[in-house]
Amino acid sequence: MEKMIYATLSSNKNIDEINGLLSSIKGISGADLYSVKLDEISAVVCDINKIEVVADKENAIEYAEVIENIWNQFTLIPMRFGSILDSKDAISNMLSKNYSEFKDNLLKVENKCEFGLKVFCDSEKIIAELKENSNNEIGLTPSIENENTNSVFRNYIDKKLKEHRFEEFLLSLVDTVINEITKQLENLNAINKFKKMSSATNIVDAYILIEKENKNELLKMVKHFQNQYPSLNFILTGPWPPYNFVEINIK
Amino acid sequence: MPNNVIDQSKDITILEVLDRVLNKGVILTGDIVISVADIDLVYLGVKLMLSSVETMEKLKSGQSLTENYPNN
Repeated sequence: MEKMIYATLSSNKNIDEINGLLSSIKGISGADLYSVKLDEISAVVCDINKIEVVADKENAIEYAEVIENIWNQFTLIPMRFGSILDSKDAISNMLSKNYSEFKDNLLKVENKCEFGLKVFCDSEKIIAELKENSNNEIGLTPSIENENTNSVFRNYIDKKLKEHRFEEFLLSLVDTVINEITKQLENLNAINKFKKMSSATNIVDAYILIEKENKNELLKMVKHFQNQYPSLNFILTGPWPPYNFVEINIK
Repeated sequence: MPNNVIDQSKDITILEVLDRVLNKGVILTGDIVISVADIDLVYLGVKLMLSSVETMEKLKSGQSLTENYPNN
C-alpha cells in the first residue's frame, strides 16, 4: 500500500514515543497513523490505497482535522492533501534530501500559530457614511442639480466620476488599514503576508504567524480595528497550523 | 451582529479550510492527481476556527451564536 503523508514534525522523542502519541489520533477513514523518522524530523503517515483518495469536501475537512490533532501535540509543517509516496524508503529518502529545509521551516514555526484576517467592505454603507459625514468632501454627491444639464451624457460622467473617486478613496483606506495593522503586528513580533483587493468586497486578505501566547493580543487588536472602522467587517480565522508559512521546494 | 455576518463567516470557514488543505502546505514532487468532487459551501462545524471577533468571543465563553438574535 502507498503512504499518505500528513505532516512533517520536529521531535526529540524516539520513534516509539512518537508513535505512542500518534496512536490516539486517526487518519482519514480511521486509518492508523505512524511516523517515519530521520534524526530530529519525522513524517506522519498512514497506509492508503491511492485509488480511493478523492479530494472532496469531506476528505479535505477530515484531513484538516487530522493535521490539527497532530499539531496539538507537535510542532509541524502540513503537507498538501494528496501527498502520497510508494514506500517508507521513498519517504526516508525525501526527508533526507530536504532535511535542512524542513529543519529551518520547523524552527521558524515553533510555538507559533497562523491566523487569517479578512477585511470586507460594504461600499454602499461607506458611501452613505461619507455623504453624511464629509459634506461631500470627495465629491460623491451628484452635481447634476447644480448644473441644470440633466443629460444622459452628464449622468454618465457623474456616475463614472463618483466611481473613480470612491475607488481612490477605498484604495487609500485599504493602505491606511494595512499600515495600521502592520504597525500593531510589529509590536507582537508577528510575520504577516497581505493581499489587497482580492475582490470588490474583500479589500484585505492577510495571513499572520504569531507566537501562540500572543493570540489574545491579536484578538484585542482586531476588535480595536473593528471598533475603529465600523463600516468595515473584520473576520479573523484561526488558530491554524502554519499552512501559509511553508517555504520548501521539495527535491 | 446581523445574521448574514454569521452566515458569511460559516461559508468563509469552509473556504479557509479547503484553501489551506488543497492549496497550501508542502507540495511533493510527483503528487498524485486526485479526483475533485463538487465542493459546496455547507458549514460542517469542524471546530471553532473562524468568526468575527465578537462571535469568537461568544463561542469561547460558551454562549450560543444565536443567543442574542431570538428572531433568527
